[in-house]
Amino acid sequence: MEGIKAKLKAIFGAANVSDDPKVLAGYASDKSFAKTIAPAYVVKASNADQVEALVKFANEAKLPLIPVSSGAPHYRGDTVPSVAGAVIVDLSGMKKIISINSLHRMAVIEPGVTYGEFQEALAKEGMHLAYTLAPRSTKSVLASVMDCEPRLNAMHGWSYTEPFRCVEVTWGDGRRMYTGDAANGGPVGSLEKQFTEEKWQVSPLGPMMLDFYRLLTQSQGTMGIVTWASIRCELAHQAHDCFFLAANEEKDLLNFVWDVNHVRFSEEMFIMNKAEVANLMGKDAAEIAALKTALPAWIVFVGVGGRELLPKERCEQQAADIGEIAQKNGLTLLRSVGGISATNFYKKAISVSPAEKYWKETQKGAFQDIFFLSKIDDTAMFIDKMNALAAAAGYPVSDIGVYVQPIHMGTAYHVEFTLPYDPENKKETALVKDLFIKASEALAAAGAYYARPHGPWARIQLNKDAMNTKSLMKLKGIFDPNGIMNPGKISI
Amino acid sequence: MALKDFRAMMERDSYCNSCKWIPYDKIKSQRFAENCPTNLYYQFHLYSVRGKWQAGQTYLDTQEGTIGKDELIKQYPYDFNTAPEFLESVQSCMACGSCDVSCKICRFNLEPLAYNIELKNEAILRGFILPKQKKMIEALKTEQTMIPNAKKAKRQDWAKGIEFAAKTDTYFYPGCKYSYDPKLKAYAKKAAQTLIDAGVKLGYLGDLDMCCAGRAYQQGFYDEFNERADANIKAFKAKGVKTIVTPCADCYHALKRLYAARGMKVKVLHLVEYLDELIKAGKIKFTKNVNLTVTYHDPCHLGRQGEPYVAWNGKEKKIMHQVHTWDPPRPRYNGANGIYEAPRDVIKAIPGVQLVEMERIREYALCCGAGANAQLNFPELSAATASERITEANSTGADALVTACPWCEANFKNAVDENGKGIEVIDIIDLVARAL
Amino acid sequence: MAINQEAYKELELIVGKRWISQDIAERECYRSIMAESSAHSGPYDGETPLPGAVILPGSTEEVQAIVKICNKYDIHFKACSTFWSVMGFIGDDDSLQIDMKRMKKMEFHERDQYVIVEPYCIGAVVQVEAMKRGFNVNMAGVGCSSSTLAGASSWVAFGPSSCFMGVASENFLAVEWVLPNGDLLRTGTLGSGGDWFCGEGPGPSVRAILRGAQGTAGSFGVCTRLAVRLHPWPGPTCLPTYGTVPAYKLVPTWNLKTYTLNFPDWDGYANTINFLSQNQDIAYLGHRQYNMWGRYIKLAMIKLLIEPGGQLADLPKYMADPFIKEQTEKCRIDLQVVIVGMTKRDLEWKEKAIDEILRRVGGWKNEFMLQPEVHDWVLLYLLRLGHKNLNYTLCSSYEGSGGLSNNVFVTSKVMEEYHELREEFDKTHNGLAATGGDSEMGALSTLGGGGITGYEFFQWFDRHDRESVKGCCDFIQNYSQKLCDKYGFGADMGNWNMTARHPDTGYYYTQDEQNAMFVNSPQPGLQIYQYLVKKAFNPLDLCGSYYRTLDPEYWEANHK
Repeated sequence: MEGIKAKLKAIFGAANVSDDPKVLAGYASDKSFAKTIAPAYVVKASNADQVEALVKFANEAKLPLIPVSSGAPHYRGDTVPSVAGAVIVDLSGMKKIISINSLHRMAVIEPGVTYGEFQEALAKEGMHLAYTLAPRSTKSVLASVMDCEPRLNAMHGWSYTEPFRCVEVTWGDGRRMYTGDAANGGPVGSLEKQFTEEKWQVSPLGPMMLDFYRLLTQSQGTMGIVTWASIRCELAHQAHDCFFLAANEEKDLLNFVWDVNHVRFSEEMFIMNKAEVANLMGKDAAEIAALKTALPAWIVFVGVGGRELLPKERCEQQAADIGEIAQKNGLTLLRSVGGISATNFYKKAISVSPAEKYWKETQKGAFQDIFFLSKIDDTAMFIDKMNALAAAAGYPVSDIGVYVQPIHMGTAYHVEFTLPYDPENKKETALVKDLFIKASEALAAAGAYYARPHGPWARIQLNKDAMNTKSLMKLKGIFDPNGIMNPGKISI
Repeated sequence: MALKDFRAMMERDSYCNSCKWIPYDKIKSQRFAENCPTNLYYQFHLYSVRGKWQAGQTYLDTQEGTIGKDELIKQYPYDFNTAPEFLESVQSCMACGSCDVSCKICRFNLEPLAYNIELKNEAILRGFILPKQKKMIEALKTEQTMIPNAKKAKRQDWAKGIEFAAKTDTYFYPGCKYSYDPKLKAYAKKAAQTLIDAGVKLGYLGDLDMCCAGRAYQQGFYDEFNERADANIKAFKAKGVKTIVTPCADCYHALKRLYAARGMKVKVLHLVEYLDELIKAGKIKFTKNVNLTVTYHDPCHLGRQGEPYVAWNGKEKKIMHQVHTWDPPRPRYNGANGIYEAPRDVIKAIPGVQLVEMERIREYALCCGAGANAQLNFPELSAATASERITEANSTGADALVTACPWCEANFKNAVDENGKGIEVIDIIDLVARAL
Repeated sequence: MAINQEAYKELELIVGKRWISQDIAERECYRSIMAESSAHSGPYDGETPLPGAVILPGSTEEVQAIVKICNKYDIHFKACSTFWSVMGFIGDDDSLQIDMKRMKKMEFHERDQYVIVEPYCIGAVVQVEAMKRGFNVNMAGVGCSSSTLAGASSWVAFGPSSCFMGVASENFLAVEWVLPNGDLLRTGTLGSGGDWFCGEGPGPSVRAILRGAQGTAGSFGVCTRLAVRLHPWPGPTCLPTYGTVPAYKLVPTWNLKTYTLNFPDWDGYANTINFLSQNQDIAYLGHRQYNMWGRYIKLAMIKLLIEPGGQLADLPKYMADPFIKEQTEKCRIDLQVVIVGMTKRDLEWKEKAIDEILRRVGGWKNEFMLQPEVHDWVLLYLLRLGHKNLNYTLCSSYEGSGGLSNNVFVTSKVMEEYHELREEFDKTHNGLAATGGDSEMGALSTLGGGGITGYEFFQWFDRHDRESVKGCCDFIQNYSQKLCDKYGFGADMGNWNMTARHPDTGYYYTQDEQNAMFVNSPQPGLQIYQYLVKKAFNPLDLCGSYYRTLDPEYWEANHK
């Protein structure tokens, strides 16, 4: 073991290698129900050379590696070791924003850059990153992007993997590579030289027939370690307007969402139930409870925006046309619901949420998410099913937050259930833990698709498709032949 | 032209596949988007003109003994003996010309239809004649008809009872199918009588009325066609014929286009053109309602191939180094000037009749399945093609399918669509007669 | 290995006698004469090898059974649908050519905005059926005559509408694919017994092996069905046309417009592309289309094509017409856009946005192209992309060269240099049609939402004239490639397939040949991982060398 430590120190410097139990304990568990297993070491990486050296060494020493980019707290169990003796590769210190180019709407960032940091830097250049719903402040942009977290604007989701583009990656076998445009002609491996040649790492594809970057998506660090990635950004809105629409049933909103999708209008659009709106907006449990009383059962939030070309006119046109679509569907555009203005709601939805008081924890101190992909017309069925499962388990249905987000231009719908619970209440914690597993299985049986198979979802989902799993394991064997990358995750 | 004269075209063709589809701009559904009857049936690439442009190159290399000597690496010789599917692809082509129209949407230097027929001639020259073709040619030579087993002596039977004008320069030319087919003879009679009743001084050639041999040409029998055409032209001249009216699309094409190329100066009208003229002039007046919704099938040889002949004698001239032109500009047969409006105007003029269109119409209409005598030479293919067309006709919701060609009509009569459902097939002559 | 009698009989049992052939002429038809398509493969005068047999399967089950027989008897195979490109043809003697023509079913899922297509659904029919339902599909630049599935699974398949609708890689959802070893892979939701609405995951996407920046060109088994995303179409449910063959035109519709935007300089062009990329919803479609015929003749060509009796011999006459001459000069730097109003207000805003862009860059709308008949012809052309054959119209053959793929500020800078290069070439060479130097055509974007332009520099030659064929090779090898090298653009488009099969014989490369070719490539990992993937999924190496591979052991021992 000392040999390993010495080698790690040689790679990262003594100050960046720790086996202090207190430090290790910080990585041994997270806020999910994942089993607690302490790693053997934590290393703080600061560049790709170190990462490459580490992976090569880990292959020789058969050391499990677990890349971690976001700062604590973590919620999904993917950074908690599944095996003993693992090395946590903490990339959260790699915070360089290497490039921002507003002309091409591209940026290159390291894995430790968080949402708050990135959006602030982009704002200075007149841009923003397509928003995810109120990410916690310590969330790594790259981790979020690679995990294909849904964006509020499905209309700009040409690709399922948007806005993830090119990467510098060290695969599990220790080979460092550049993907997509970053490896397509010109000087490979030097961003500076590529910038000089006006190459901005735009296309993520290939660059040949194997789509390397796709192997890193939704991979939970099981294939390789990314040390920078290029990200597609958007020009900031110069005008923006937003509205709510309200209904008693989720299904009453679906035709409106589909119709707006179908003409490719709106900047942001999603559905929420009142519990989720309250979770996002409430300052404390009491306010959340009050909001739940005041809010309509279901809302659609829809934003319209204009950029540098006739922005005000664009907003007005879209608002008017979306208003007509609403009318056609028996709905009305509302400036506020339950005392919450659409503008304030929008601000909250696109802002980072403080890590120490993440919005999903406001109500009860902890939460468990269940999220998956669905067809538009199955969303209501899944909601009913979840409610029934919760009711049967004795969990208060009114506490379940629901967020339904069209993605990939509306071909798929991200459905997210948030189950708040009190972590101090053992009975409730046990109930939610049990409900989480049972509901995950029941929803899968009804057709829920866990594209991002965190925790138990990997077992549930991969068991449904033997050929895909067989193929995935073959690929894992190629890119991580010794199985050192986050072992135990996404495998059966 | 001989096959070797198509060498440049063979090499200038490309892999665009336009020859397998109606013009892309005109596609209205997946179901009725394909155009080539033989390709629809056989599916293999060889059964398209693109396939034959390619197969023809090696065939020609083999014939000319240049296999392996070209810069190209063609090292596998074959002929019609060793490549029987090539022979079948050549013989089964209906010479409908739909590939020709689609090709020429963009191309100016390819002649797919002429090539298809040239290949048929090549097969004949090499001695590959189908049994049914043999009988047909025998009939042409001995009885001057396309109809095997038909007798010259019976050719004029249909005309009994009609009082044709003795002195005229306008002659009715019914063609073999109308003259002999027991189910169609009556329509020939109705047609002639309608014209006469409308005041046309209509004559009949009597003993001089013989096969036009157009369908022999479609099958590549150039010599037999030429012999018959020249004899007919001579007879027309001797008789003082100035105008010919024919109810048969194949005859129309032969006379209008092929005979003109051989120097005939006679004006040629299809019956529908004349009817249209007479209706518009008020000389034919309808007295009855015909309460039918009908769809109209454009015969290949009246529609896209029914364009008038334009004389040309020139040569290829490249401009801008490599751009292909002809000096003087070469006439372009692409279906633009076929007969499409006249039959439709006739149908629309009949009280009570509603015309609904199929998807494949006018210059991109699907063949009936009887082109190049496929109904005798390749009956299964022919039946499949007729069925495809009737499926399309039935999809319009029409009560009946109207056509202006006896070969189309006969081929449709006993056919059913893909669901086993037939459709009433009405000769346009009959449709007109029902309203008189 | 040759297809022996036993293997042939087993194949025959799968599809029936009617759908398999060993006729020598039939097989000859399934060879690609490389000069007769844009082969992107060197001297352009070779022919691919003769297949041992041709087979037409009718279902996925039959395809899978065929592939299993190929594995059993070590028979090399390749599937193709519309045979546009040399890529679809086999590359070893006695291989099995699979023609997918019989598989052409389509299934629309309007609510989830996708259509499941089989291989022989060409772009035109997919579009036609989609429009009936208020949708459209991204039509690949190859045109509506080619298979939608093949474009998505096997090649690049961006097109004029990609800025708005995305490129094939972005549009295809779940897919059903017979892997080279005979396994049947169903990606994403489909594999889990669900629908076709998501082709990714679970976890790392296995679809990564099926296509990257480009598809596998038939070198990785057979794609049998694929879900393609649909996009909004607020136009008529069937494109109504008028005009006499071949000059068909689109009947004017209130919410469909096309403009040819002209610019005083390339900066104006580049800035316009950038505006349209940053505001992705303005242009439904954007393409520098008609310049493909050459800078000097493009409007004269359109003039003759909108006339039913038009002939190439009319070119000099039209080029001399004062109005056309003036407008052609003004159209030197041009971009065609189509704008589509989802609503009246939307159309008004888009019209204003186009005018605002032109105001900012000093551009204008070309007057010749605003003439109603021209407008209607252009609109039909761009929406349907049904004129692929015009790629051959000038002198029978063409090769795309250059292949500039980069952001517009890089690519637009070299346009004039290409133009001058061709002008100079034409002064001393007769091999290519001399129609105006610059004959670059290309898309507003090769990615959804903009960002990368892709251009193809058309070289027109006569395949029947061997000197002309040589002239085309000469230009690409000795002129165009050198310019690509100068700017670091990599292989000239005319040479793209040079690393996939022998340009003279059309044979695939052996692994040894590939090793030698790629051992010192800038990033050998690309080919090494592809080698490992091939070993895992295609252990008998049955599908040829379009899947570029490098043996890691060879690399270890030999790289510099």
